[in-house]
Amino acid sequence: MDSKRHPSSFQQLEKLGEGTYATVFKGRNRQTNELVALKEIHLDSEEGTPSTAIREISLMKELKHENIVSLHDVIHTESKLMLVFEYMDRDLKKYMDLRGDRGALDYPTIKSFTHQLLQGIAFCHENRVLHRDLKPQNLLINNKGQLKLADFGLARAFGIPVNTFSNEVVTLWYRAPDVLLGSRTYNTSIDIWSAGCIMAEMYTGRPLFPGTTNEDQLQKIFRLMGTPSERTWPGISMYPEYRTSFPVYATQELRMILPQVDQLGLDLLNRMLQLRPEMRISAKDALRHRWFEDLPDLRKRGMIQAERRGPVSGGSMGMGY
Amino acid sequence: MAANYWASSQRLHWQMSRAKLAETRRALDAMDEKVFQDFPLPHYRLLSIYFNQQLIRLGRRMQTRQQALATAQLYVRRFYTKVAIRDTNPYLVLATCLYLALKIEECPQHIRIVVNEARTCWPEYMPADTAKLAECEFWLISEMNSFLIVHHPYRTLRELKITLKLTDSEEETASQVINDSCVTDLPLLYPPHVIAVTAIFLTVVLKPSSSMGAFGSSVSNLRVSSAAAAAAAAAAANTMNAQERLQHVVNWFANSKVDMEAIIDCTQEIISLYEVWESYSATGEKSCREMLGRLVKQRGL
Repeated sequence: MDSKRHPSSFQQLEKLGEGTYATVFKGRNRQTNELVALKEIHLDSEEGTPSTAIREISLMKELKHENIVSLHDVIHTESKLMLVFEYMDRDLKKYMDLRGDRGALDYPTIKSFTHQLLQGIAFCHENRVLHRDLKPQNLLINNKGQLKLADFGLARAFGIPVNTFSNEVVTLWYRAPDVLLGSRTYNTSIDIWSAGCIMAEMYTGRPLFPGTTNEDQLQKIFRLMGTPSERTWPGISMYPEYRTSFPVYATQELRMILPQVDQLGLDLLNRMLQLRPEMRISAKDALRHRWFEDLPDLRKRGMIQAERRGPVSGGSMGMGY
Repeated sequence: MAANYWASSQRLHWQMSRAKLAETRRALDAMDEKVFQDFPLPHYRLLSIYFNQQLIRLGRRMQTRQQALATAQLYVRRFYTKVAIRDTNPYLVLATCLYLALKIEECPQHIRIVVNEARTCWPEYMPADTAKLAECEFWLISEMNSFLIVHHPYRTLRELKITLKLTDSEEETASQVINDSCVTDLPLLYPPHVIAVTAIFLTVVLKPSSSMGAFGSSVSNLRVSSAAAAAAAAAAANTMNAQERLQHVVNWFANSKVDMEAIIDCTQEIISLYEVWESYSATGEKSCREMLGRLVKQRGL
């Protein structure tokens, strides 16, 4: 049983990073030799077990899917809680740095990762769970070329965070425009926006919208997608962060910014990166998009780099369990 | 929240048969024969009513949503299938279950507020140290194996309201029956949709008048057996002006694949709750308070 397992069943190896409310170590199961990730949560008598940890644990106990990092065990000791996750080699950010051509991945790998990302999202959404903080650091990759969603802890209970407790600014780059505009009624479509941003980033190796502030983030989005108005987005002026003083930009063609993406890929990206949340494609529909038609064939021909090559060396500091 | 009941930890880990539940409780009582003898407690049904009252008192002080209260109640029930009541301070457990439920239902309250409010409710028994609540929370999570997400019948009720064309007042009554089901073992025994359908059955087909709990004594006098229930359904359809809507509900029951035996069992459980509730009164409350008070004080919990 979970609660009966002792922390000494695991040998603690190097530190993988500081999570939002915990420290993550690489570990090894002394009995099976299996590698794991150990997330240690410290308890505070002033706040009990952190809400974020409770949200994460309880959700991970329910969400079992091949594209969601799996929680093997929860170990209770006197003063801390230890979550035992399956071991993943690195996060997508590190993967792109190591494997990519200046960060850019090859076409079959992008397709495989995007498909897996959407499968993970679709499963969450079927279960009415929003991830709310998808970014390359929260997508973990293993040596079999599997991609899994991780870090379900952030911001579940308190809405979208601006700062974590460690005062590290939470990245805005993957945040949907409706959320940036102050929407409180956001839904599953916010994860789709993030997925679109991540897919584009895999092509270029650079974030699509690297904003520095809320305002700057919106401007970067509008510069590419065009500044929305009541005409193109009825009701937009009702959003708390809407300003009539937004600089007016014309809509750019995605293919000008992303010339390396094929026609079908652009079509899918376009459907994911719709400014209006209700216009964004659902994860389920995205998975049926024609762009994925040749994926089984690419897999069969062993074209997908991530699934072909052996392990690569390189640190995985700061990965987002 | 996580929506798939069929793959949920609630179904896979926290649902049991009546026999299993009774056996579990017997085993807990038998763990320490002497404590069991020395500290008599009221019947679990009466305790459930008392715990419910106390949780509602505490919940009201923090304007707690009904769903969070229902979650807290189920936590209390789950926890006491793992730990003997006599080994705990039940007031601390109640406060902690609510504190944890508020986190899970995304309406958290600060630990200090919960401790202060609990101390206002139970000054003699609630420890002032927030660390005690934090420790107890840890214990709770551990005993429940971190399975914390709870599926309640309210959602099925909202969905069926549309299908069955229930009126607002019927929905209201049915949701009160669901609240009342939290005072019974039903949430440990049956899936939430069965409880929801039972609540609708009681509300629409048996149509009781309200005076206590959700219902009056007219209901508590009813003896529902599976034959009687079918007859009641048929009679209801004939006598109540044979409204089309009611017919619609009855037809739905007839054609649905709902496990009628489960519905009957749930119905009986709820009706017997109302009977116990009627006889509970102020003396019942007093004896629960005294016996628990003695337990907490003398065992130094």
